[in-house]
Amino acid sequence: MTIPVDLKYTKEHEWVRIEGDIATFGISDHAQEALGDIVFVELPEIGRELAPGDAFAVVESVKAVSDVYAPVGGEVVDVNEVLEGEPEKINSDPYGAGWIAKVKISGGSIELLDADAYTTFLEE
Amino acid sequence: MTGHTEKLALTPLHAEHIRLGGKMVPFAGFDMPVQYPEGALKEYTAVREGSAGLFDISHMGQVRVTGPQALDFLQYVTTNDVSKLVDGQVQYSALLNEQGTFIDDITTYRIAEGKYYLCINAANRHKDVAHLLKEAAAFDVTVQDESDDTTLLALQGAASGKLLQALCDIDLQGVGYYRFAECKLSGTPAIVSRTGYTGEDGFELYLPNAAAGVIWGALLEAGAVPIGLAARDMLRTEMGYALYGHEISDAVTPVEARLMWITRLDKGEFIGKAAVAARKAEGPRQVLIALKLIERGIPREHYPVLVDGELSGEVTSGMHSPMAGGVALAYVKPEHADNGTLAVEIRGKAVAAERTKTPFVRSNVRK
Repeated sequence: MTIPVDLKYTKEHEWVRIEGDIATFGISDHAQEALGDIVFVELPEIGRELAPGDAFAVVESVKAVSDVYAPVGGEVVDVNEVLEGEPEKINSDPYGAGWIAKVKISGGSIELLDADAYTTFLEE
Repeated sequence: MTGHTEKLALTPLHAEHIRLGGKMVPFAGFDMPVQYPEGALKEYTAVREGSAGLFDISHMGQVRVTGPQALDFLQYVTTNDVSKLVDGQVQYSALLNEQGTFIDDITTYRIAEGKYYLCINAANRHKDVAHLLKEAAAFDVTVQDESDDTTLLALQGAASGKLLQALCDIDLQGVGYYRFAECKLSGTPAIVSRTGYTGEDGFELYLPNAAAGVIWGALLEAGAVPIGLAARDMLRTEMGYALYGHEISDAVTPVEARLMWITRLDKGEFIGKAAVAARKAEGPRQVLIALKLIERGIPREHYPVLVDGELSGEVTSGMHSPMAGGVALAYVKPEHADNGTLAVEIRGKAVAAERTKTPFVRSNVRK
């Protein structure tokens, strides 16, 4: 299982990559592994304002439906439409081609963990 | 993962599932593999696209019914016409209560005159056996629960016949769909039944527990792919096969579940007959339909089904079919069986759907 050190994580197993005022969201390798084969992704609308912790996307595996929560607040400026046709990219490349949405950060976040803290959290 | 509060039963192959890396979940009181490391989609594909999938379905129950009045007894407790069976034939059937609703759906095997074998659902085993024993008191018949002594495997997919033939001492070409034979698999007495729950050609194998590991191992060695519960449910849902607790339950009769084809009102007295006949005359209270989403989404169990914008019923089984998209079985009001604009409510949104027929994808069972 991989946990890249340049990302932050939530206890709900999202990851966030912050570059300037843009944050990219996805779900962690642990999350995709626990869900199993992902067969459907519901993306947020561009322009939607997210408060930290808002459910902004839905990821469905063969057996389960999971909400994905915004690690930081902001306006949705881009979504990964590729996932509508190839949701399995979340399984094969959760931190790369499996990204879900980008927001323009406008302040606030839920509790974010660095890679070490997230690793410890998973071990607990 | 949720903690197991009650002690789960283990099938004779439990250690094999662990060895293979199966992700274990509680199911009908058993600790069963929901999937193996390759994942449910790959398992599903193996069965649909020409391989042979191997399923441990030993959680299911088996009951032997023998005696001079075995036929009379089964005519009375099951819905289908058991007198139509010849030796070596299997029949899909049901047990009803006096209200005409389902105690279980079953398969009836005729071994010989006065000798029958029933396969029942795991979750209903104790209820079924208690019911059968109670009703058997009025007949010269013996009812024996053999569930704990029997391992049941399913081998499903186009390659099944070839794989199984290598272990089997009879010619499987001679065993047609819904037929079975008593034979030897790797030297062990077994019942080989050309039945299944996937819509592919294949077999169900009834074995003594002591032989489970050997036969399971030999089939894996020959190239069979182990399949968990998740892929099994995908395969059965694509065929539109009913599953107890979903499409059928003690809340519906065969009239609602569209299972009148296994309910022979013309065969003489049986438990539930009067109630079913009355329901048939007055009309069903709800009707099972097959639907397909026109828009993106996955219809799942209990999602509301809307007709012309109004709540009409709910999904009983639904899935994302790799071949057919979002498909589901659902109960709706009888007046909506064929009329009205359908939608499934998914997370508060009405997602457009249309009526379709089952199976949702082509069945390849051997006819």
